[in-house]
Formats: sequence, structure tokens, C-alpha cells
Amino acid sequence: MGILVNKDSKVIVQGMTGREGASHSRAMKEFGTQVVAGVTPGKGGSDFEGWPVYNSVAEAKAAHGANVSIIFVPPAGAADAVLEAAHAGMPLIILITEGVPTTDMMRAVQEVKALDAISRANGGEGVRLIGGNCPGLVTSGECKVGIMPNKIYSEKGRIGLISRSGTLTYEAAKLLSDAGLGTSTTVGIGGDPVIGTTFADVLPMFEADPDTDAVVLIGEIGGADEEAAAEYIGLHMKKPVIAFISGRSAPAGKRMGHAGAIIMGNVGTPESKLAAFAAVNVPVADTMPQIMDMVKKALNIQN
Amino acid sequence: MKLHEYQGKELLRQFGVNVQDGKVAYTPDEVRSIAREYGQAVVVKAQVHVGGRGKAGGVKFSPTIDKAFENAEKILGMDIKGLTVNKVLVTKAVDIDAGTEYYVGMIVDRNVQSFTLMACAEGGMEIEELAAERPEAIIRHRVDPITGLRPYEAREVAIRAGFKGNLNKIADMMVKMSQAALARDAVLVEINPLFIDADGTPLALDTKFEIDDNAMYRHKDLLDWRELEAEHPLEIEASKYGFAYVKLDDGNVGVLGNGAGIVMTSLDVVNRAGAKPANFLDIGGGAKAEIVYNAVKLVSKDTDVKAIFINIFGGITRADEVAKGVIQALKEGILTKPVRMRIAGTAEEEAKALLAEVNSPLIQMYPDMFQAAEAASRDANSAGEAK
Repeated sequence: MGILVNKDSKVIVQGMTGREGASHSRAMKEFGTQVVAGVTPGKGGSDFEGWPVYNSVAEAKAAHGANVSIIFVPPAGAADAVLEAAHAGMPLIILITEGVPTTDMMRAVQEVKALDAISRANGGEGVRLIGGNCPGLVTSGECKVGIMPNKIYSEKGRIGLISRSGTLTYEAAKLLSDAGLGTSTTVGIGGDPVIGTTFADVLPMFEADPDTDAVVLIGEIGGADEEAAAEYIGLHMKKPVIAFISGRSAPAGKRMGHAGAIIMGNVGTPESKLAAFAAVNVPVADTMPQIMDMVKKALNIQN
Repeated sequence: MKLHEYQGKELLRQFGVNVQDGKVAYTPDEVRSIAREYGQAVVVKAQVHVGGRGKAGGVKFSPTIDKAFENAEKILGMDIKGLTVNKVLVTKAVDIDAGTEYYVGMIVDRNVQSFTLMACAEGGMEIEELAAERPEAIIRHRVDPITGLRPYEAREVAIRAGFKGNLNKIADMMVKMSQAALARDAVLVEINPLFIDADGTPLALDTKFEIDDNAMYRHKDLLDWRELEAEHPLEIEASKYGFAYVKLDDGNVGVLGNGAGIVMTSLDVVNRAGAKPANFLDIGGGAKAEIVYNAVKLVSKDTDVKAIFINIFGGITRADEVAKGVIQALKEGILTKPVRMRIAGTAEEEAKALLAEVNSPLIQMYPDMFQAAEAASRDANSAGEAK
């Protein structure tokens, strides 16, 4: 089953008729994901490559019983698209868009959290946002709601993977799959400073997932998300976690591509992250191939 | 986008913050006439996008008109941390002893997923130094991104920070600063020092203001303030192509790849191989040959670069497009430095075939990123020794 998405997930695509939305809708369909409809305001009632297109998320959700929305809307409208999906009661929203203004994300994330609390208080399933600036998520062999290359996720495995970086997620997934381990679910949480779901939010889901035996966490410099993850692991996780920190040689004060990857003062340094993981006995790999050896060791798998 | 002190002050003034008067000058003669107009002691302050101007001698108290002229001659044209001062702000001097200096600021704080308001009874100091040495001296408060800072919250923070003065006026200034930060998509706003005079009235003596680059599309009125000469020339060129590019000091290996994460890791791998990365260049996702060609051209222009390491994990990026871009640069004679690449993923075989056809010692493909980084590092280091 994996976490968050599976073969039963019904996915709508906000911004399906745009260039990115169209190509990734096709790739998700090829993967086997149940893509049920598209949403493009103003194009409601039309048909796009066999998919019905609606003017709003609420209409698409009502017509198809969709429970996941993936967003490919350009930055200026991205936060609005998130709020539309959240208010339509979509339980899982994945924002792929890169370059969304931070104040927009602050407001959207806060509102999504408020809606989530209200939904849960009323016995609903809540509202979760993943991203923005993320590659999405995949439960291997079942469902991809994202932009990852299909090939590396065709085989089911038993390692959960969480990452702030898109390309490093692919790299890690390929290494895991080549090593005969494979991934259960991969969650790309995104490289922006303000995001909907953090490492510490995803870890309990993997801890509870019967299809996941261990977790690989790919962090990077900037912020204190890795430190928060380490604290959670120390207090609550029984399954082994293996970490990797990217950007360890990056200079302080320079923003390394990701808006969130910047060392400011003494916050966000690799040293602080390494120390936090060391304190809770989480091994940190120096290179990505080392991750595989560490996972095998933690699970007592012979080479 | 970082703003100069005078620009940040202008934005705060637009939101009703009480800001110290000042005028910008480009020549010592202009400074003299501003000092004459003010008819009192002035401060001449270098306008450059770096911190620590005061320590570098870029801020000078000028009790007389002649002294203002003299100080302007010293400051204009001086070099502060690699940047040339070509303009100064001339402000009326304030008798610091007749009041108290404080600090207030707002930063994007990922730990609270919003802005954090910071206030401290010790103004004038670099806040990062203070935060490192005595974090307890700084009062922190999360600002709601939807409502902004409310007056009661501002009063509470001012009280907790130990600010002395007219509480309502101080809180009002903080509220207005918060409105400016939210409306102008600030990443950081600081009023430091925040001067409170003997009557208890607050006055912003200096500011820092930085705007979220992702939000610049809705602040087009500020685009004229962008100063390309303050940026590295290769960074300007990179921004034209839409690359995320950072020039790094003391490096000898040019590093480019598809995605921030993979490029960051590539820097680590080059370091591990015993060389130094000269830059960070993310060509983004789905790059075509032309983009790769431009990236190679850009990195080749950097005279620090002795070898280039290309690290691609192709998903939507096709390896053959990457190879085509590199080959084009070779054929046009732009490529004179060795390129060592790891290209995995989509269309990897096609890329290999294209490179085999060209068969140039300048371009070599390796099966993994470590071997490619080691080869690039070796080439870069031996090129340095040969000099």
C-alpha cells in the first residue's frame, strides 16, 4: 500500500492543459496512476486527450470522487490553486510549482493547516499539502503523483524515501532499486523555506506503514527541518532511518539554487544537522552509495 | 533583491514609519550642498550592498560642511568588501546621547512558517553576532501572515524587549514596518538602530530591506532599483539565461548539473576529490542543447575554471541534448577546458554514441559522479600546477 497514495487514488490535475501539466498527466497515466480529470478555469466542459476538463476543483471532485490533486499552475496563481483545492475538501494536494512567493506560501500553508484541523475535528480525513517546489510522490508500482522518471519506480520495494531535492530523490531511488532494495513510497517535500509537509510530518506515516522497513532521509543545508526530524526519530521511531545531507561544502550566506538552501548565521549548518542525527544514533552517509550499505546493515541484509 | 539603506527607508516612509531625513549624492560637491541645506552636522554613509560599512570606514560623522565634503571624498570610490562606493546617503546627524538605540526586525522564519518579529534593547550591533552570542537578548514573536502584526502584539513585544519611550508610538512603528514587509514581500526588514529620543518618539536611523526575488513580478515599480553593477558579471549573464548560478571563491572546477540538489552534492564530491568548486550552476529541468551550450559557454568564461564537471541525472532532461550542447561548444571553439561528465538516465546511450563520434580528449564520460568529479579535479589541479 505505501503511504499517502496507492492504486486506488483518484487524481485530478490543476493546470492539465498547460505544457508541464499535459506532459506529466500523460507520464502519470503511463505509470498507471488513475488520472481522472483536469481543471483549467475557463476550459470547463472541454475534453483534453480523453480527460474531461472542469472549471473548478469542486466540480471535478464531485464528478469523479477524486481524492488527490496535483498542481502545475504558474507561480502567480499557485497559492490560490492550493486554497481552491483545500476549500473544495481535497484531502491531499501536491504543489509542484517552483518560484511561488514566500508570503503566498505562508498564507496558504497556514490556511491549509486551519482547514485540516477543522476537518479532523469534524471527523473528516483532513487536508494535507505537499510542496511547493517539489517533485511529488510515488508509491512504487502503484501510483505516481509527481514528475519523477517512471522507470526507477516500477518495482516495489520496502524502503521509504523522503527528500528536499528532486534530482537527489531520483538518484537515491535508482541506487536503492539497483541495490535490490527498492522504494515503498517516495515523498519529495520540496526545496522552499515554507512548505506544507516536513520530514517530521512524514516520518510517523512511514513508522506506521507495514510495507516500509526502513527510511532514507535526504536533507540539505539551510533551515532546521533535519534537526526537527532527528528529534522526532529519537522520541518515536523504531524503524531504522539513514540520512544524507547535501551541500556540506557550500559557503555560508549563499543561496544554493533552492530558496531554502542557505546557511544564515549559525542556523542551517551541516554541523548542526550532523550533530542532531548523531545524538539519536541515525547514521549519516558521506556519499550516496554509502546509503545502501547503511540500509543493508541496519536491516541485517547480507551483501 | 537587496535594497540600499535609502531605498529601504523610502519604502518604510511610504508606510508611515518615521524615518530620518536624508538625500543621496554621487559627488563630494553634491554632499557639500546637501550639508549646507541641512545647516547642521550630517552623517555621510556609503550605499553598498554589504554589511559592516561602519567598520570599513564607510560611515562618517561630519560636524561641518567642509568635513562633510572631505568625508565624501574619502568614501566615494572606496572599496568595501569588493564593491565600489559610487553613492552616499547624507543624513541629518542625531545626538545619540539624547536618546536610546534599539533593534527591531522581521525575517522569513521557516521554523514558524511565517515572519518572526525580533526586538532587542541593544541597537546598533550586527544582529547575527548578537544572536550567536546572547540569543536570550532577542525577543522573538511569530507574525500571522494573514492579519499581519496587531498593535497589542507589538506593545507586548516592546514591553518584553524593555523598550523605553512612548509605547503607542513604538508599537505603531512596528505595526507599520510589518505592513511594509508583508505588502512588499520582504525576506528581511530591519530598523537598526531604532532611535528613541528623550520625548519617547521613535525614529528609524538605518534600515536593511531585502525583497523575495520570486515576488518581484508584483513589484515592478522597484525594478529600476536593481543594480547590475553590484553583481558579479557572470551572475548577471546567468540570470539572462534563467540559470541558478553562484560564483564561488578560490575554486578551479566549474560545476553544472540539472537541479539544485544534484549540483549541491556535486560541489561536495569535488571537494572530496581534492579540488575546489568555482561555481554552482543549475541548468534546471528538461534543458535542451542550447541551454547546455549557454551553460558551458558561461562556465568557460570564468578564468578560475580549469576543468568542468557536468553531473546529470536525466528524467525530463535528455542526456543526448546535454551531449549535443557540449559538442556544439567544442565545435565553436568555446570549449578549451576539459569536460568530465556523468550523465545517467534518459537517452544515456544516444549521448554516448554522439560523444564517441566526436572522440575528443576534451570531453570524457564516466560511469558515476565520483569518477567524473575525480577526473575533473585532477585535471583542474594539474592545470594549476603547470602554471
